Amino acid sequence: MVGFSLLFYSVFFMPSDKMTVERGLKMLVYVVAGIISTHVLREYIRRSGWLLLPIEKMFARLIIAIVATSILYSLLVIAFVEVLSISDSKEVNFFSKLLVTVLNLGIFIIPWTLIYYFYHYIEKSRRQQLDTLKLEALVKELELKTIKSHINPHFIFNALNSIRALIDENPGRARDAITELSNILRSSMQAEKLETVPFEKELNIVKDYLALEYIRFEDRLKVEYQIDEDTLDQPVPPMMLQTLVENAIKHGIGREVRGGVIKIVSDFKGDYHELIVQNSGKLNGHINEEGFGLSSTKNRLQLLFGDKSNFQIKQVNGNIVEATVLIPVTTN
Amino acid sequence: MIKAIIIDDERLARNELKKLLMDYPEIEVVAEAANAGEGIEKIEHINPDLIFLDIQMPGKTGFDLLSELDRAPNVIFTTAYDEYALKAFEVNALDYLLKPVEPKRLADAIQKLHLQDEREQVNGGVVNVNRSILYEQDQVFVKDGERCWFVKLNEIRLFESVGNYAKVYFASNKPLILKSLNALEERLDEKMFFRANRKHIVNLRLIDKIEPYFNGGLLLELKGGEKIEVSRRQTVKFKEMMSL
Repeated sequence: MVGFSLLFYSVFFMPSDKMTVERGLKMLVYVVAGIISTHVLREYIRRSGWLLLPIEKMFARLIIAIVATSILYSLLVIAFVEVLSISDSKEVNFFSKLLVTVLNLGIFIIPWTLIYYFYHYIEKSRRQQLDTLKLEALVKELELKTIKSHINPHFIFNALNSIRALIDENPGRARDAITELSNILRSSMQAEKLETVPFEKELNIVKDYLALEYIRFEDRLKVEYQIDEDTLDQPVPPMMLQTLVENAIKHGIGREVRGGVIKIVSDFKGDYHELIVQNSGKLNGHINEEGFGLSSTKNRLQLLFGDKSNFQIKQVNGNIVEATVLIPVTTN
Repeated sequence: MIKAIIIDDERLARNELKKLLMDYPEIEVVAEAANAGEGIEKIEHINPDLIFLDIQMPGKTGFDLLSELDRAPNVIFTTAYDEYALKAFEVNALDYLLKPVEPKRLADAIQKLHLQDEREQVNGGVVNVNRSILYEQDQVFVKDGERCWFVKLNEIRLFESVGNYAKVYFASNKPLILKSLNALEERLDEKMFFRANRKHIVNLRLIDKIEPYFNGGLLLELKGGEKIEVSRRQTVKFKEMMSL
Protein backbone atom coordinates (compact mmCIF):
# COMPACT_ATOMS: atom_id res chain seq x y z
CA MET A 1 0.00 0.00 0.00
CA VAL A 2 2.79 2.40 0.87
CA GLY A 3 4.23 1.45 -2.45
CA PHE A 4 1.04 2.53 -4.17
CA SER A 5 0.74 5.78 -2.27
CA LEU A 6 4.30 6.59 -3.22
CA LEU A 7 3.46 5.82 -6.80
CA PHE A 8 0.56 8.26 -6.71
CA TYR A 9 2.75 10.80 -4.97
CA SER A 10 5.32 10.52 -7.69
CA VAL A 11 2.76 10.80 -10.43
CA PHE A 12 1.17 13.88 -8.86
CA PHE A 13 4.19 15.81 -7.80
CA MET A 14 6.64 15.16 -10.58
CA PRO A 15 6.09 17.10 -13.75
CA SER A 16 5.78 14.66 -16.59
CA ASP A 17 8.21 16.51 -18.87
CA LYS A 18 11.02 15.68 -16.45
CA MET A 19 10.26 11.98 -16.70
CA THR A 20 13.36 10.09 -17.58
CA VAL A 21 14.27 6.43 -17.44
CA GLU A 22 16.34 7.17 -14.38
CA ARG A 23 13.44 8.76 -12.53
CA GLY A 24 11.13 5.92 -13.46
CA LEU A 25 13.68 3.42 -12.22
CA LYS A 26 14.08 5.35 -8.97
CA MET A 27 10.34 5.39 -8.50
CA LEU A 28 10.24 1.66 -9.01
CA VAL A 29 12.93 1.30 -6.34
CA TYR A 30 10.84 3.26 -3.83
CA VAL A 31 7.75 1.22 -4.61
CA VAL A 32 9.47 -2.17 -4.33
CA ALA A 33 11.41 -1.24 -1.18
CA GLY A 34 8.17 0.17 0.35
CA ILE A 35 6.26 -3.01 -0.34
CA ILE A 36 9.01 -5.19 1.11
CA SER A 37 9.53 -3.18 4.29
CA THR A 38 5.84 -2.75 5.12
CA HIS A 39 5.22 -6.43 4.53
CA VAL A 40 7.96 -7.27 6.99
CA LEU A 41 6.25 -4.99 9.52
CA ARG A 42 2.83 -6.56 8.85
CA GLU A 43 4.16 -10.06 9.24
CA TYR A 44 5.84 -9.07 12.49
CA ILE A 45 2.68 -7.45 13.90
CA ARG A 46 0.67 -10.55 13.08
CA ARG A 47 3.08 -13.07 14.52
CA SER A 48 3.56 -11.27 17.82
CA GLY A 49 -0.19 -10.73 18.22
CA TRP A 50 -0.02 -6.99 18.70
CA LEU A 51 -3.62 -6.55 17.64
CA LEU A 52 -4.76 -8.33 20.79
CA LEU A 53 -2.90 -5.94 23.09
CA PRO A 54 -4.68 -3.09 24.86
CA ILE A 55 -4.24 0.22 23.15
CA GLU A 56 -2.09 1.87 25.85
CA LYS A 57 0.52 -0.85 25.54
CA MET A 58 0.70 -0.24 21.81
CA PHE A 59 2.07 3.34 21.73
CA ALA A 60 5.68 2.57 22.54
CA ARG A 61 5.61 -0.48 20.29
CA LEU A 62 4.19 1.48 17.37
CA ILE A 63 6.84 4.20 17.67
CA ILE A 64 9.63 1.63 17.68
CA ALA A 65 7.96 -0.17 14.79
CA ILE A 66 7.73 3.04 12.77
CA VAL A 67 11.37 3.92 13.36
CA ALA A 68 12.54 0.38 12.59
CA THR A 69 10.45 0.16 9.43
CA SER A 70 11.67 3.56 8.23
CA ILE A 71 15.27 2.49 8.72
CA LEU A 72 14.67 -0.81 6.94
CA TYR A 73 12.93 1.00 4.12
CA SER A 74 15.78 3.51 3.82
CA LEU A 75 18.43 0.82 3.86
CA LEU A 76 16.62 -1.01 1.08
CA VAL A 77 16.25 2.14 -0.98
CA ILE A 78 19.90 3.07 -0.51
CA ALA A 79 21.01 -0.43 -1.36
CA PHE A 80 18.93 -0.58 -4.55
CA VAL A 81 20.08 2.88 -5.58
CA GLU A 82 23.70 1.91 -5.06
CA VAL A 83 23.35 -1.34 -6.96
CA LEU A 84 21.61 0.32 -9.86
CA SER A 85 23.96 3.34 -9.56
CA ILE A 86 21.22 5.84 -10.16
CA SER A 87 22.15 8.07 -7.23
CA ASP A 88 21.89 11.79 -7.78
CA SER A 89 22.63 12.70 -4.18
CA LYS A 90 25.61 14.87 -3.35
CA GLU A 91 25.92 13.37 0.12
CA VAL A 92 28.95 11.13 0.33
CA ASN A 93 28.70 10.14 4.01
CA PHE A 94 26.61 7.00 4.36
CA PHE A 95 25.09 7.94 7.71
CA SER A 96 23.96 11.38 6.71
CA LYS A 97 22.51 9.84 3.55
CA LEU A 98 20.69 7.31 5.70
CA LEU A 99 19.40 9.99 8.06
CA VAL A 100 17.98 12.07 5.26
CA THR A 101 16.29 9.08 3.68
CA VAL A 102 14.87 7.91 6.99
CA LEU A 103 13.35 11.32 7.67
CA ASN A 104 11.92 11.57 4.18
CA LEU A 105 10.43 8.11 4.17
CA GLY A 106 9.31 8.22 7.81
CA ILE A 107 6.69 10.76 6.79
CA PHE A 108 5.05 8.08 4.68
CA ILE A 109 5.54 5.23 7.09
CA ILE A 110 3.93 7.00 10.08
CA PRO A 111 0.42 7.52 8.67
CA TRP A 112 0.53 4.19 6.90
CA THR A 113 1.36 2.24 10.06
CA LEU A 114 -1.20 4.13 12.12
CA ILE A 115 -3.93 3.59 9.56
CA TYR A 116 -3.06 -0.07 9.29
CA TYR A 117 -3.08 -0.55 13.05
CA PHE A 118 -6.28 1.35 13.82
CA TYR A 119 -8.18 -0.23 10.97
CA HIS A 120 -7.39 -3.66 12.31
CA TYR A 121 -7.93 -2.62 15.88
CA ILE A 122 -11.45 -1.34 15.21
CA GLU A 123 -12.28 -4.31 13.02
CA LYS A 124 -11.17 -6.67 15.75
CA SER A 125 -13.09 -5.07 18.59
CA ARG A 126 -16.18 -4.90 16.41
CA ARG A 127 -15.95 -8.63 15.78
CA GLN A 128 -15.37 -9.28 19.45
CA GLN A 129 -18.46 -7.31 20.38
CA LEU A 130 -20.49 -9.29 17.92
CA ASP A 131 -19.24 -12.58 19.36
CA THR A 132 -20.04 -11.47 22.91
CA LEU A 133 -23.57 -10.53 21.88
CA LYS A 134 -24.11 -13.87 20.16
CA LEU A 135 -22.80 -15.71 23.21
CA GLU A 136 -25.00 -13.73 25.56
CA ALA A 137 -28.08 -14.54 23.51
CA LEU A 138 -27.19 -18.22 23.58
CA VAL A 139 -26.62 -18.24 27.32
CA LYS A 140 -29.92 -16.44 27.86
CA GLU A 141 -31.78 -18.99 25.82
CA LEU A 142 -30.15 -21.91 27.61
CA GLU A 143 -30.76 -20.36 31.00
CA LEU A 144 -34.45 -19.85 30.32
CA LYS A 145 -34.74 -23.44 29.18
CA THR A 146 -33.12 -24.99 32.22
CA ILE A 147 -34.87 -22.67 34.65
CA LYS A 148 -38.26 -23.40 33.17
CA SER A 149 -38.02 -27.14 32.94
CA HIS A 150 -37.31 -27.42 36.62
CA ILE A 151 -39.80 -29.37 38.67
CA ASN A 152 -38.71 -30.93 41.90
CA PRO A 153 -38.34 -34.72 41.51
CA HIS A 154 -38.81 -35.12 45.24
CA PHE A 155 -42.30 -33.74 44.82
CA ILE A 156 -43.15 -36.02 41.90
CA PHE A 157 -42.10 -39.21 43.66
CA ASN A 158 -43.73 -38.25 46.93
CA ALA A 159 -46.94 -37.52 45.07
CA LEU A 160 -46.80 -40.88 43.30
CA ASN A 161 -46.25 -42.62 46.61
CA SER A 162 -49.24 -40.86 48.18
CA ILE A 163 -51.38 -41.76 45.20
CA ARG A 164 -50.46 -45.42 45.51
CA ALA A 165 -51.56 -45.38 49.13
CA LEU A 166 -54.79 -43.60 48.16
CA ILE A 167 -55.76 -46.23 45.61
CA ASP A 168 -57.09 -48.47 48.39
CA GLU A 169 -58.05 -45.81 50.86
CA ASN A 170 -59.88 -43.36 48.62
CA PRO A 171 -60.01 -44.41 44.96
CA GLY A 172 -61.89 -41.27 43.85
CA ARG A 173 -59.29 -38.99 45.34
CA ALA A 174 -56.55 -41.13 43.78
CA ARG A 175 -58.08 -40.61 40.34
CA ASP A 176 -58.23 -36.84 40.83
CA ALA A 177 -54.68 -36.82 42.06
CA ILE A 178 -53.48 -38.51 38.89
CA THR A 179 -55.20 -35.82 36.81
CA GLU A 180 -53.62 -33.10 38.92
CA LEU A 181 -50.17 -34.59 38.60
CA SER A 182 -50.62 -34.98 34.83
CA ASN A 183 -51.56 -31.29 34.54
CA ILE A 184 -48.45 -30.24 36.40
CA LEU A 185 -46.14 -32.45 34.37
CA ARG A 186 -47.74 -31.33 31.10
CA SER A 187 -47.42 -27.69 31.97
CA SER A 188 -43.83 -28.04 33.07
CA MET A 189 -43.04 -29.61 29.69
CA GLN A 190 -44.91 -26.91 27.77
CA ALA A 191 -43.19 -24.25 29.83
CA GLU A 192 -40.03 -24.94 27.86
CA LYS A 193 -41.65 -23.65 24.71
CA LEU A 194 -43.40 -20.56 26.06
CA GLU A 195 -42.01 -17.30 27.38
CA THR A 196 -45.21 -16.36 29.20
CA VAL A 197 -48.67 -17.82 29.89
CA PRO A 198 -51.92 -16.18 31.07
CA PHE A 199 -51.96 -15.95 34.85
CA GLU A 200 -55.15 -18.02 34.99
CA LYS A 201 -53.36 -21.01 33.51
CA GLU A 202 -50.49 -20.67 35.96
CA LEU A 203 -52.94 -20.33 38.86
CA ASN A 204 -54.67 -23.57 37.87
CA ILE A 205 -51.35 -25.38 37.95
CA VAL A 206 -50.64 -23.97 41.38
CA LYS A 207 -54.07 -25.12 42.57
CA ASP A 208 -53.38 -28.64 41.29
CA TYR A 209 -49.99 -28.56 42.92
CA LEU A 210 -51.38 -27.48 46.27
CA ALA A 211 -54.13 -30.11 46.07
CA LEU A 212 -51.42 -32.75 45.72
CA GLU A 213 -49.38 -31.31 48.54
CA TYR A 214 -52.52 -31.36 50.65
CA ILE A 215 -52.66 -35.13 50.21
CA ARG A 216 -49.17 -35.29 51.64
CA PHE A 217 -49.45 -32.79 54.44
CA GLU A 218 -53.16 -33.24 55.21
CA ASP A 219 -54.17 -30.93 58.07
CA ARG A 220 -50.73 -29.43 58.29
CA LEU A 221 -51.36 -27.41 55.12
CA LYS A 222 -53.89 -24.57 54.86
CA VAL A 223 -54.24 -22.50 51.70
CA GLU A 224 -55.81 -19.07 51.16
CA TYR A 225 -56.33 -17.30 47.84
CA GLN A 226 -56.94 -13.60 47.27
CA ILE A 227 -57.18 -13.14 43.52
CA ASP A 228 -58.30 -10.03 41.61
CA GLU A 229 -60.15 -11.59 38.65
CA ASP A 230 -58.97 -8.87 36.29
CA THR A 231 -55.41 -10.11 36.68
CA LEU A 232 -56.30 -13.53 35.29
CA ASP A 233 -55.34 -12.68 31.72
CA GLN A 234 -52.06 -10.96 32.56
CA PRO A 235 -49.04 -12.77 31.08
CA VAL A 236 -46.68 -14.34 33.58
CA PRO A 237 -43.59 -16.55 33.15
CA PRO A 238 -44.75 -20.18 33.25
CA MET A 239 -43.99 -22.18 36.42
CA MET A 240 -42.74 -19.09 38.24
CA LEU A 241 -45.56 -18.78 40.77
CA GLN A 242 -45.39 -22.55 41.08
CA THR A 243 -41.70 -22.36 42.01
CA LEU A 244 -42.42 -19.73 44.66
CA VAL A 245 -45.24 -21.80 46.14
CA GLU A 246 -43.06 -24.89 46.11
CA ASN A 247 -40.41 -22.89 47.96
CA ALA A 248 -42.98 -21.70 50.48
CA ILE A 249 -44.06 -25.29 51.11
CA LYS A 250 -40.51 -26.55 51.40
CA HIS A 251 -39.33 -23.88 53.82
CA GLY A 252 -42.59 -22.94 55.51
CA ILE A 253 -44.76 -26.03 55.83
CA GLY A 254 -42.29 -28.86 55.38
CA ARG A 255 -40.09 -27.68 58.22
CA GLU A 256 -42.82 -27.07 60.76
CA VAL A 257 -44.07 -30.04 62.71
CA ARG A 258 -47.48 -28.41 63.00
CA GLY A 259 -47.50 -27.09 59.44
CA GLY A 260 -48.85 -23.67 58.49
CA VAL A 261 -50.69 -21.43 56.03
CA ILE A 262 -49.88 -20.56 52.42
CA LYS A 263 -51.50 -17.42 51.03
CA ILE A 264 -51.49 -16.40 47.36
CA VAL A 265 -52.37 -12.84 46.34
CA SER A 266 -52.70 -11.41 42.83
CA ASP A 267 -53.74 -7.80 42.16
CA PHE A 268 -52.78 -4.56 40.41
CA LYS A 269 -50.50 -2.10 42.07
CA GLY A 270 -50.06 1.05 39.96
CA ASP A 271 -48.65 -0.03 36.62
CA TYR A 272 -47.67 -3.39 37.97
CA HIS A 273 -49.22 -6.81 38.32
CA GLU A 274 -48.35 -7.84 41.86
CA LEU A 275 -48.03 -11.48 42.89
CA ILE A 276 -47.50 -12.36 46.54
CA VAL A 277 -46.82 -15.74 48.13
CA GLN A 278 -46.87 -15.82 51.91
CA ASN A 279 -46.02 -18.70 54.18
CA SER A 280 -45.89 -18.98 57.92
CA GLY A 281 -42.38 -19.43 59.22
CA LYS A 282 -39.19 -17.51 59.66
CA LEU A 283 -36.62 -16.40 57.13
CA ASN A 284 -33.26 -17.78 57.98
CA GLY A 285 -30.58 -15.15 57.46
CA HIS A 286 -29.08 -16.52 54.27
CA ILE A 287 -31.79 -15.83 51.70
CA ASN A 288 -29.45 -15.90 48.73
CA GLU A 289 -28.19 -19.32 49.58
CA GLU A 290 -31.67 -20.75 49.76
CA GLY A 291 -31.06 -22.42 46.51
CA PHE A 292 -32.64 -22.75 43.16
CA GLY A 293 -36.11 -21.26 43.68
CA LEU A 294 -35.25 -17.69 44.50
CA SER A 295 -32.26 -17.19 42.25
CA SER A 296 -34.09 -18.70 39.29
CA THR A 297 -37.09 -16.41 39.84
CA LYS A 298 -34.82 -13.37 39.98
CA ASN A 299 -32.95 -14.44 36.84
CA ARG A 300 -36.07 -15.20 34.86
CA LEU A 301 -37.65 -11.85 35.64
CA GLN A 302 -34.43 -10.09 34.76
CA LEU A 303 -34.14 -11.96 31.47
CA LEU A 304 -37.75 -11.36 30.46
CA PHE A 305 -38.48 -7.85 31.73
CA GLY A 306 -35.07 -6.37 32.61
CA ASP A 307 -35.18 -3.69 35.28
CA LYS A 308 -38.92 -3.13 34.85
CA SER A 309 -39.72 -6.06 37.11
CA ASN A 310 -38.97 -6.56 40.76
CA PHE A 311 -38.68 -9.49 43.12
CA GLN A 312 -38.11 -9.50 46.83
CA ILE A 313 -38.59 -11.76 49.81
CA LYS A 314 -38.91 -10.52 53.36
CA GLN A 315 -40.15 -11.28 56.84
CA VAL A 316 -43.45 -9.57 57.81
CA ASN A 317 -45.22 -9.58 61.17
CA GLY A 318 -42.55 -11.70 62.78
CA ASN A 319 -43.82 -15.08 61.64
CA ILE A 320 -44.77 -14.70 57.98
CA VAL A 321 -42.38 -14.89 55.03
CA GLU A 322 -43.55 -12.94 52.00
CA ALA A 323 -42.27 -13.19 48.44
CA THR A 324 -43.41 -10.38 46.12
CA VAL A 325 -43.13 -10.19 42.33
CA LEU A 326 -43.91 -7.04 40.35
CA ILE A 327 -44.38 -7.42 36.59
CA PRO A 328 -45.22 -4.50 34.28
CA VAL A 329 -48.92 -4.58 33.31
CA THR A 330 -49.70 -5.57 29.74
CA THR A 331 -52.75 -3.96 28.15
CA ASN A 332 -54.30 -5.32 25.00
CA MET B 1 -39.99 -61.63 65.42
CA ILE B 2 -38.48 -58.30 64.34
CA LYS B 3 -39.87 -55.25 66.10
CA ALA B 4 -40.01 -52.33 63.68
CA ILE B 5 -40.89 -48.64 63.83
CA ILE B 6 -41.84 -46.56 60.79
CA ILE B 7 -40.79 -42.91 60.94
CA ASP B 8 -42.19 -40.71 58.16
CA ASP B 9 -44.03 -37.40 58.26
CA GLU B 10 -46.70 -38.52 55.79
CA ARG B 11 -49.51 -40.70 57.06
CA LEU B 12 -50.15 -42.13 53.59
CA ALA B 13 -46.50 -43.05 53.14
CA ARG B 14 -46.52 -44.89 56.48
CA ASN B 15 -49.73 -46.70 55.50
CA GLU B 16 -48.29 -47.70 52.17
CA LEU B 17 -45.20 -49.17 53.79
CA LYS B 18 -47.26 -51.02 56.40
CA LYS B 19 -49.30 -52.50 53.62
CA LEU B 20 -46.16 -53.70 51.85
CA LEU B 21 -44.82 -55.15 55.09
CA MET B 22 -47.93 -57.32 55.55
CA ASP B 23 -46.21 -59.83 53.26
CA TYR B 24 -43.54 -60.30 55.93
CA PRO B 25 -45.13 -61.79 59.02
CA GLU B 26 -41.76 -61.88 60.80
CA ILE B 27 -41.72 -58.07 60.83
CA GLU B 28 -44.09 -56.50 63.29
CA VAL B 29 -44.65 -52.74 63.03
CA VAL B 30 -45.00 -51.85 66.68
CA ALA B 31 -45.10 -48.07 66.37
CA GLU B 32 -45.14 -45.12 63.99
CA ALA B 33 -43.79 -41.60 64.31
CA ALA B 34 -44.46 -38.48 62.21
CA ASN B 35 -41.30 -36.57 63.04
CA ALA B 36 -37.79 -37.00 64.45
CA GLY B 37 -38.64 -35.91 67.99
CA GLU B 38 -41.48 -38.40 68.27
CA GLY B 39 -39.24 -40.99 66.65
CA ILE B 40 -36.42 -40.63 69.18
CA GLU B 41 -38.92 -40.94 72.04
CA LYS B 42 -40.42 -44.13 70.64
CA ILE B 43 -37.07 -45.69 69.79
CA GLU B 44 -35.78 -45.12 73.31
CA HIS B 45 -38.98 -46.43 74.82
CA ILE B 46 -39.58 -49.46 72.62
CA ASN B 47 -36.04 -50.37 71.63
CA PRO B 48 -36.93 -51.69 68.15
CA ASP B 49 -34.76 -54.04 66.11
CA LEU B 50 -35.39 -52.12 62.93
CA ILE B 51 -36.50 -48.66 61.87
CA PHE B 52 -37.75 -47.47 58.50
CA LEU B 53 -36.59 -43.90 58.41
CA ASP B 54 -37.54 -41.01 56.12
CA ILE B 55 -34.79 -38.42 55.58
CA GLN B 56 -36.68 -35.18 54.94
CA MET B 57 -38.99 -34.46 57.84
CA PRO B 58 -40.15 -31.27 59.52
CA GLY B 59 -37.77 -30.08 62.23
CA LYS B 60 -34.97 -32.61 62.25
CA THR B 61 -33.93 -34.89 59.40
CA GLY B 62 -33.56 -38.64 59.67
CA PHE B 63 -29.78 -38.22 59.87
CA ASP B 64 -30.17 -35.81 62.80
CA LEU B 65 -32.35 -38.36 64.54
CA LEU B 66 -29.73 -41.08 64.22
CA SER B 67 -26.95 -38.82 65.48
CA GLU B 68 -28.90 -38.27 68.66
CA LEU B 69 -29.31 -41.95 69.44
CA ASP B 70 -26.71 -43.62 71.67
CA ARG B 71 -27.15 -46.92 69.94
CA ALA B 72 -28.33 -47.13 66.36
CA PRO B 73 -30.77 -49.94 65.55
CA ASN B 74 -30.82 -51.49 62.07
CA VAL B 75 -31.98 -48.80 59.72
CA ILE B 76 -33.57 -48.92 56.29
CA PHE B 77 -33.81 -45.40 54.88
CA THR B 78 -36.78 -44.38 52.78
CA THR B 79 -36.79 -41.30 50.57
CA ALA B 80 -38.68 -40.08 47.54
CA TYR B 81 -35.76 -38.41 45.86
CA ASP B 82 -33.02 -36.54 47.58
CA GLU B 83 -29.76 -36.19 45.71
CA TYR B 84 -27.85 -35.31 48.83
CA ALA B 85 -29.11 -38.33 50.77
CA LEU B 86 -28.70 -40.68 47.81
CA LYS B 87 -25.07 -39.69 47.58
CA ALA B 88 -24.56 -40.39 51.28
CA PHE B 89 -26.22 -43.81 50.87
CA GLU B 90 -24.14 -44.78 47.89
CA VAL B 91 -20.86 -43.65 49.40
CA ASN B 92 -21.50 -45.60 52.57
CA ALA B 93 -23.45 -48.55 51.18
CA LEU B 94 -26.36 -47.95 53.55
CA ASP B 95 -29.60 -49.66 52.75
CA TYR B 96 -32.32 -47.46 51.36
CA LEU B 97 -35.66 -47.70 49.61
CA LEU B 98 -36.95 -45.20 47.08
CA LYS B 99 -40.59 -44.24 47.41
CA PRO B 100 -42.84 -45.47 45.87
CA VAL B 101 -41.21 -48.66 47.15
CA GLU B 102 -40.67 -51.49 44.73
CA PRO B 103 -41.70 -54.79 46.40
CA LYS B 104 -38.61 -56.52 45.01
CA ARG B 105 -36.28 -53.93 46.59
CA LEU B 106 -38.07 -54.32 49.90
CA ALA B 107 -37.63 -58.10 49.71
CA ASP B 108 -33.89 -57.66 49.09
CA ALA B 109 -33.50 -55.28 52.02
CA ILE B 110 -35.28 -57.65 54.39
CA GLN B 111 -33.29 -60.60 53.09
CA LYS B 112 -30.09 -58.71 53.81
CA LEU B 113 -31.30 -58.03 57.31
CA HIS B 114 -31.88 -61.73 57.98
CA LEU B 115 -28.42 -62.63 56.70
CA GLN B 116 -26.85 -60.07 58.97
CA ASP B 117 -28.81 -61.41 61.93
CA GLU B 118 -27.62 -64.95 61.31
CA ARG B 119 -24.03 -63.83 61.01
CA GLU B 120 -24.23 -62.06 64.33
CA GLN B 121 -25.69 -65.10 66.00
CA VAL B 122 -22.85 -67.27 64.69
CA ASN B 123 -20.38 -64.72 66.05
CA GLY B 124 -21.64 -65.50 69.52
CA GLY B 125 -24.79 -63.51 69.94
CA VAL B 126 -24.29 -62.32 73.48
CA VAL B 127 -27.55 -61.41 75.08
CA ASN B 128 -27.04 -57.90 76.29
CA VAL B 129 -28.17 -57.80 79.86
CA ASN B 130 -27.79 -54.12 80.45
CA ARG B 131 -29.27 -52.01 77.64
CA SER B 132 -27.63 -48.82 78.86
CA ILE B 133 -24.17 -50.22 78.12
CA LEU B 134 -22.87 -50.38 74.57
CA TYR B 135 -21.39 -53.77 73.70
CA GLU B 136 -19.09 -54.75 70.89
CA GLN B 137 -21.83 -55.75 68.45
CA ASP B 138 -23.72 -52.52 69.04
CA GLN B 139 -23.43 -49.88 66.38
CA VAL B 140 -23.42 -46.12 66.50
CA PHE B 141 -24.33 -43.71 63.75
CA VAL B 142 -21.65 -41.15 62.97
CA LYS B 143 -22.08 -38.25 60.60
CA ASP B 144 -19.37 -35.93 59.46
CA GLY B 145 -20.40 -33.38 56.84
CA GLU B 146 -21.56 -35.31 53.79
CA ARG B 147 -20.32 -38.66 54.97
CA CYS B 148 -21.97 -40.94 57.47
CA TRP B 149 -21.34 -44.39 58.86
CA PHE B 150 -22.80 -47.07 61.03
CA VAL B 151 -19.84 -48.17 63.11
CA LYS B 152 -19.69 -51.30 65.22
CA LEU B 153 -18.03 -50.60 68.54
CA ASN B 154 -15.47 -53.36 67.96
CA GLU B 155 -14.19 -51.39 64.95
CA ILE B 156 -13.45 -48.27 66.99
CA ARG B 157 -9.82 -47.99 68.12
CA LEU B 158 -9.89 -44.74 69.98
CA PHE B 159 -12.01 -41.87 71.28
CA GLU B 160 -10.15 -38.59 71.61
CA SER B 161 -11.49 -35.56 73.43
CA VAL B 162 -11.57 -32.35 71.35
CA GLY B 163 -13.34 -29.61 73.30
CA ASN B 164 -16.99 -30.61 73.65
CA TYR B 165 -16.59 -33.19 70.92
CA ALA B 166 -15.03 -36.58 70.71
CA LYS B 167 -13.03 -37.72 67.71
CA VAL B 168 -13.85 -41.32 66.79
CA TYR B 169 -11.06 -43.33 65.17
CA PHE B 170 -12.07 -46.30 63.00
CA ALA B 171 -10.58 -47.66 59.75
CA SER B 172 -9.07 -44.59 58.09
CA ASN B 173 -11.76 -42.21 59.36
CA LYS B 174 -11.86 -39.94 62.36
CA PRO B 175 -15.10 -37.93 62.41
CA LEU B 176 -16.28 -35.85 65.37
CA ILE B 177 -19.34 -36.61 67.49
CA LEU B 178 -20.97 -34.25 69.94
CA LYS B 179 -20.35 -36.24 73.12
CA SER B 180 -18.01 -35.73 76.05
CA LEU B 181 -15.44 -38.38 76.90
CA ASN B 182 -16.92 -38.75 80.41
CA ALA B 183 -20.39 -39.42 79.02
CA LEU B 184 -18.94 -41.97 76.61
CA GLU B 185 -16.94 -43.70 79.34
CA GLU B 186 -20.11 -44.32 81.33
CA ARG B 187 -21.81 -46.00 78.38
CA LEU B 188 -18.93 -48.11 77.11
CA ASP B 189 -18.29 -51.71 78.13
CA GLU B 190 -15.32 -51.48 80.50
CA LYS B 191 -14.06 -54.89 79.49
CA MET B 192 -13.43 -53.48 76.09
CA PHE B 193 -12.70 -49.77 76.43
CA PHE B 194 -10.17 -48.25 78.78
CA ARG B 195 -9.67 -44.61 79.82
CA ALA B 196 -5.93 -44.18 79.23
CA ASN B 197 -5.73 -40.54 80.26
CA ARG B 198 -7.82 -37.37 80.43
CA LYS B 199 -8.04 -37.13 76.67
CA HIS B 200 -8.22 -40.69 75.38
CA ILE B 201 -10.31 -43.87 75.61
CA VAL B 202 -8.71 -46.84 73.83
CA ASN B 203 -10.11 -50.15 72.62
CA LEU B 204 -8.15 -52.82 74.56
CA ARG B 205 -8.60 -55.33 71.76
CA LEU B 206 -7.01 -53.11 69.19
CA ILE B 207 -3.72 -52.47 70.99
CA ASP B 208 -0.67 -53.46 69.00
CA LYS B 209 2.25 -52.78 71.35
CA ILE B 210 2.78 -51.82 74.97
CA GLU B 211 5.98 -50.04 76.05
CA PRO B 212 7.13 -48.57 79.36
CA TYR B 213 7.15 -44.78 79.42
CA PHE B 214 8.34 -41.91 81.63
CA ASN B 215 7.35 -41.73 85.30
CA GLY B 216 6.26 -45.34 85.37
CA GLY B 217 3.58 -44.75 82.75
CA LEU B 218 2.96 -46.78 79.61
CA LEU B 219 2.87 -46.01 75.91
CA LEU B 220 0.29 -47.92 73.88
CA GLU B 221 0.55 -48.28 70.15
CA LEU B 222 -2.81 -48.99 68.52
CA LYS B 223 -3.41 -51.05 65.37
CA GLY B 224 -3.86 -47.83 63.41
CA GLY B 225 -0.44 -46.53 64.49
CA GLU B 226 -1.71 -44.01 67.05
CA LYS B 227 0.51 -43.72 70.14
CA ILE B 228 -1.34 -43.10 73.38
CA GLU B 229 0.22 -42.40 76.74
CA VAL B 230 -1.31 -44.06 79.81
CA SER B 231 -1.21 -41.78 82.85
CA ARG B 232 0.56 -43.05 85.94
CA ARG B 233 -2.62 -43.49 87.92
CA GLN B 234 -4.33 -45.38 85.07
CA THR B 235 -1.23 -47.52 84.51
CA VAL B 236 -1.80 -49.24 87.85
CA LYS B 237 -5.37 -49.99 86.86
CA PHE B 238 -4.31 -51.12 83.40
CA LYS B 239 -1.78 -53.60 84.80
CA GLU B 240 -4.36 -54.95 87.21
CA MET B 241 -6.84 -55.54 84.42
CA MET B 242 -4.29 -57.16 82.18
CA SER B 243 -2.98 -59.54 84.82
CA LEU B 244 -6.44 -60.94 85.44
